[in-house]
Amino acid sequence: MSEKILETEGDIAADYLEGLLDIADLDGDIDIDVEGSRAQVSIVEANPGDLKSLVGKDGKVLESLQELARLAATRETGERSRLMLDVAGFRAERKTTLTALANEAIERVTASGESISLDPMNAFERKVVHDAVAAAGLASSSDGEEPKRYVVVSPAS
Amino acid sequence: MLEEALGHLVRGIVDHPDDVSVSTRSQRRGSVLLVRVHPEDMGRVIGRAGRTASALRTVVGALSTDGPVRIDFLDVDER
Repeated sequence: MSEKILETEGDIAADYLEGLLDIADLDGDIDIDVEGSRAQVSIVEANPGDLKSLVGKDGKVLESLQELARLAATRETGERSRLMLDVAGFRAERKTTLTALANEAIERVTASGESISLDPMNAFERKVVHDAVAAAGLASSSDGEEPKRYVVVSPAS
Repeated sequence: MLEEALGHLVRGIVDHPDDVSVSTRSQRRGSVLLVRVHPEDMGRVIGRAGRTASALRTVVGALSTDGPVRIDFLDVDER
């Protein structure tokens, strides 16, 4: 998808979310970026804890907001949006934790030469792990059905 | 505030935003937010396997200060 469409997606999502923050009287700054081939929209807290409600337990509200922001962008551009939303750095933090977990699995697989199955994760979380495993030159795949889908890390083939 | 927030979220994802209206109906077991949309937009606000309706309920529920919120979707011709 062209850079231009990704930027438009980010702008539409930002307006949509900004409107919600205004109505709900919540404080937050919105950053728009294009990362890889996706628009990345982040709502940044003014004070820690301000946007806790928009993250929700295990990021459930964040996932719903992302879904709605994608629909809003898709309606305007006519192209299916895959934009990523973050709120209060939730995904960024989750990414750090998961990368550490992936690296630990990579070390164990490299040492033992045997595959390891990780705990069930959502699509975003699995992608973080797949990326870390690929960067280390090992192989990974996903197995199982949602919402119990999990990553298997295997030695380089 | 919830009515307004829900109206905003729905208007942003439909083809006929001007036809969207939200009202509150009080019932014995708490209140229900009623969302009216253009008949052509019904599928949009429900989504595949109810995914969009569920996302709307989750977000509005998160903004509510007194717990989960019931939301019903109607097209403008229904009462």
